[in-house]
Amino acid sequence: MKRNLALSLVILLISTGLALAEQVEKPKPQSWADPDRLSYEEIKFSPPRPERVVLENGLTVYYLEDRELPLVNISLIVGAGAVFEPPGKEGLAEMTGDVMRTGGAAKLTGDKVDEELEYLAAPISISLGMEYGTGSLSVLKKDLNRAFKIFADLIRNPAFDEAKLDQQKNLKVEELRRIFDKPQRLAFREFKKAIYAGNARGRLPVISSIEKIERDDLVSFHKSHFFPRNLRMAVTGDISKQEAVDLISRYFGDWDDEGDFGTAPLPKPQENAPLYYYEKKVPQSTVIIGAIGPGKESPDFYPFTVLDYILGSGGFRSRIFQEVRSNRGLAYSAGSFYEGRQGYGSFGAYAMTKSESTGQVLTLMEGILKDARESRIPAQDLHLAKRSIVNSYIFSFTSSHMIAFQYMMLEFQGLPTKFLSEYPAKIDAVSREDVLKTAERYLDPGKKTIFVLGDQSKFDEPLKSFGEVKRVK
Amino acid sequence: MENLQGENQTVMSRSSQGPKAVSRRFVTLLLLGAALLAASPGALHAYNLEDRVQRVTLENGMRVLLVERHTSPTVSLYIRYLVGAVDDGEGKTGAAHLLEHMLFKGTSTIGTKNFREEERVLKKIRETGTALDRERMKGNRADEAEVQRLAKALKELQSEAKEWIVENEIDRLYSENGAVDLNASTGQDVTTYKVSLPANRIELWARIEADRMTSPVLREFYTERDVVIEERRQTYESVPSRKLMELFLATAFTASPYRRPIIGWPSDISFLTPDYLEAFFKQYHSPNNTVIAIVGDINTAKTLEIVKKYFGSIPSHKLEGHHVTGEPAQSGEKRTALVAEANPYLVIGWHKPTLPSFEDYVFDVIEALLSKGRTSRFHRSIVQGRQIGEDVSAANGMPAARYPNLFMVAGTPRHPHTAEELEHAVYEEIDKLKNEPVQKQELEKIINQLRAEFIRDLSSNSGLASRLSYYEIITGDYRYMTRYVEMIEKVTPKDIMAAAKKYLHEENRTVAVLVKKEKP
Repeated sequence: MKRNLALSLVILLISTGLALAEQVEKPKPQSWADPDRLSYEEIKFSPPRPERVVLENGLTVYYLEDRELPLVNISLIVGAGAVFEPPGKEGLAEMTGDVMRTGGAAKLTGDKVDEELEYLAAPISISLGMEYGTGSLSVLKKDLNRAFKIFADLIRNPAFDEAKLDQQKNLKVEELRRIFDKPQRLAFREFKKAIYAGNARGRLPVISSIEKIERDDLVSFHKSHFFPRNLRMAVTGDISKQEAVDLISRYFGDWDDEGDFGTAPLPKPQENAPLYYYEKKVPQSTVIIGAIGPGKESPDFYPFTVLDYILGSGGFRSRIFQEVRSNRGLAYSAGSFYEGRQGYGSFGAYAMTKSESTGQVLTLMEGILKDARESRIPAQDLHLAKRSIVNSYIFSFTSSHMIAFQYMMLEFQGLPTKFLSEYPAKIDAVSREDVLKTAERYLDPGKKTIFVLGDQSKFDEPLKSFGEVKRVK
Repeated sequence: MENLQGENQTVMSRSSQGPKAVSRRFVTLLLLGAALLAASPGALHAYNLEDRVQRVTLENGMRVLLVERHTSPTVSLYIRYLVGAVDDGEGKTGAAHLLEHMLFKGTSTIGTKNFREEERVLKKIRETGTALDRERMKGNRADEAEVQRLAKALKELQSEAKEWIVENEIDRLYSENGAVDLNASTGQDVTTYKVSLPANRIELWARIEADRMTSPVLREFYTERDVVIEERRQTYESVPSRKLMELFLATAFTASPYRRPIIGWPSDISFLTPDYLEAFFKQYHSPNNTVIAIVGDINTAKTLEIVKKYFGSIPSHKLEGHHVTGEPAQSGEKRTALVAEANPYLVIGWHKPTLPSFEDYVFDVIEALLSKGRTSRFHRSIVQGRQIGEDVSAANGMPAARYPNLFMVAGTPRHPHTAEELEHAVYEEIDKLKNEPVQKQELEKIINQLRAEFIRDLSSNSGLASRLSYYEIITGDYRYMTRYVEMIEKVTPKDIMAAAKKYLHEENRTVAVLVKKEKP
C-alpha cells in the first residue's frame, strides 16, 4: 500500500505541470515491484486450425480463413531440392526455381509475367532449396483470379526461356565470384561442405557446374519433381473455403502427372574428421564447431532443443554468448544454431573473433561443449531454457498464414499434426538427465567438425594443437 | 544489395530461414535506413489506420501510440529516442551506439546482488579505467609499465565486481517470459529498443524499460567496449562493401555529422568513457524526447494505466537546443576509391532535401521507378537487358532523415563489365528521367504497389509499431505514414523531371568505387 501511495504522489506532483516536475526526485526504483514477482493474467489461446482438403489428383491443400485484410496469401511446398541434383550439375534445383519464376509460362513471356504481377502488386516467388522447394503468392482479393492463374501456369507449365536461363546462370556465376568478398558467408558455405562431406548436401554449386546446366536439365528436373502428389498448398485470407477449393481445382484439378518423390541418403556424422582451415587474410576469424544432431521426429529433438538453447541460441544468458562475449569481450556474434530436419539435424556453435584470440575462443567453445557432455546442467539453467521456449511458443501462431504453413510443413516432413500441440509439454518434460544424454550422444568429440576461416599467421595458438589440420580451398 | 549504411544493433538478428545465416537470433545486418522505412508506408482509403491509433501525450511530454489488434495474444513494444550518432560529440563517435549496448547491462535493481557493494567497486573500475585510457592516449610516449599496472588493476577490479553482478538480467527476464525479437538499434537519427511479448506481460516491459530510462548502471563497461570493437571488425573491417560505404559517406558529407560512421571510428571507440556516456544519457534520454508504440492484443485503457504508472513519474528536462552542423552546397564532383581484395562495387550519391519536403516524396517515386522490382528501369535495362550489372539499386534518404541527405545508387558490375561501364549505364537512366516524362502506367504501378504494401504492413504488430514510432519521432506526427500514398499521388511527371534536373547532376554528386586488388 505504501508503495502505491508513493507512486501516486509523484504522479500528482507531475500532473501539476512540467516546471514543478523538474524538481521532483527520481522515483526510487526500489519502490517498484521485483520484476520476477509481477503477476499476470492467464492467457488462454487456441490457435485456429486449418482445414485439410485433398483434391482427386492427390494435391493437398490447407485452408484457413482470415478476414482482417482484403488479402489472399498462398504458399506451396514441393519435394524438389538440391539433394536430387545429378552430380556435376550442382545448382540445377536453384536454376529451375529461378527460371520457373522468370522464364514465362504458357502464352505469357517472362517479361509479361513481371509486368502483370507488378502492376497488380502481387508478388510471386519460387525458390528451390537444399531439400525442398517453396512458392508463394500474395495478392489483393480483387486480383486473385488473374494472379492465381499466372501462379498456376508458372508451376505447371513453365516455359524455361533460354535467354532467361542464360541471364540467371550469368547472375549466379557473378554471385559465386563474389562469395569471397563476404568472409562470414564464405565461412558458412565452406563449413557446410565440410560437415556434409560425402553427402549430397555437401555438394554446392560452383561456376563450372552452373555453366554445364542446360534447358533440358531444367525441363526434366521440373517434370520429375513437380506433380500433384509431391506438392502441398496453404491458402489463407479473405476467401471462403469453397472459393479456395474451386480456385485451386480450376487451375490444378486436371493435372494428373506423376513423377519421382526422390530419395536422398541422410548425412552421417564425420568420424574423427580433421580440423578444416580456410585461409583468408581478414582481421577476424570465423570459428564453427558443427555436429549432426537429432531429426525433428526423434524423441531427442526436445532435449537437444533445450541443450542448444543453453549452449548458444538462448540469447545473452546462453553459455557461449556469456563466456565469449559478455565475460571476455572476444566477439560480437557468438552462439549456436540447431535445426531439426527430417531424419537428422544440423547443429553448430560459432563465434567471430579477432585473429589474435582465435585459439582462446576455440578453447573456450570446446570447453563449453565438453562440460555439457560431462556434467548435468544446473536446474535453474534448465528451468530458464524451458520457460523461454514454452512461453515464446505463442509467436509461432501470430498469423493465419504462418499457422497453415506449419501444418503443411509438418505433413511434408512426415510428422503428425499433434506435433504442434504436444511441443510445449514435451519441452517441459525434458530432464537434466535427458539433456546430458543427448549431449553425450550428439556432441561426441569423435564426431564433430571444426571449421576455421581466418589468417593463421596472426593466431594466438597454432591450429594443430586442436587436431590434424586440413587446409581447404 | 545488402549491407548499406544500416543501423548497428546490440545483437545481430537473422532472417528466419537458411543455413547461410548463423543463428536463430544473431545474424544478417538490417538495412533499416530511412530509405527502407520510407519506401513502405501507404494509403488509407479502406483501412483507416488513423481511426485505430490512440495517440496520448503524458504530462512529462512522452508520446504514446497504441493500436489494438486481437489476432494473437501477443504485443510488440517499441521505444524510440530522438538521439543517434549525429549527436555524438567530436572525438566521441560511437557514443550513442555504445550507450545502447550498455543499456542492456541492467539498472540499480536489475542485474545486481547488492548495489551498494557493487557501486563501490564500479567507482574504482571507472577511476582505474579512466587512468588507463589517459595513459594509453599518449600513444608512443605512454609509460608501458604504468599501462601494465593499471590494466592488471582493472582486471582484478573487474573480477571483484563479478561477485556482485547478475549478468544479462534484462535478457533473462524477457526471455523467461517468452520475449522474441528483443533487440536495440542505433541509427544516425534515432535509438530504438524493441521487444515482442505475450500480451499479458506488458507490465514486465514497463517495469524494465522505465527503470533503464531512469537508473541504468554502466557495469561491465570496458568489456562491452571491446565487444563493439569486435562488432566493427565483423561488420566493417572484414567486409569491403561496408568499408566502401563508410568511405562514401565520409566523402559525400563535408560538414554534416552524417559523414561519420554510426559505430564510430576505431580510435574514438577505444577511448569512450563511462563519464561521457552518462552525461550523454542524461542529456537525451528524457520523456519529452521519447516515443513509445504498443501494437497488439491490448486493452488500450488498461495499457495506458500501466504506462502512466511506470513512465508517468519520470521527470523530463528541458532539451538543450542541439546544434548540428549544416552541409554546405556541393559544387563539384567528389570521387574516391577503396582498393581491396574484393570484386568491384559502385556507389553514387546526390545531395537533396529530406522529408517531409515535397521533393523527398518525388525522390521516393524516382527510387521506385529506378529499382523497385523486376520491371524497374535499372533491372530491365542494366541487369536483364545489357547484363552489365549483377545488382543495381536506388535508395532515397541515405544515410538517415533528420537532416538533408542523399539519393543513392549502389551496384555491382557483372564480370567482365567494369564499375565504369556500370556508372555510365546508371547515368543514361538518370538522363532519361531528366528528358522524358514518365508514362501514366508506370506511375500507376508504383502507386498500386505502395498501396498494397501499406495493407500488408498492417498484418504485423512489430512492423506497425516500428513504422508508427519511427514517423512520429522523426516528423513529429505518425500521420506522415497514413497520408503517404495521397502525397505520392500528387507527384507528376513534371515534378520528376524538375527534381532530376535540379539535383541529379555532376556537380552535386559523389562517386565511390571499390577497386579490386589482385592477390599478390
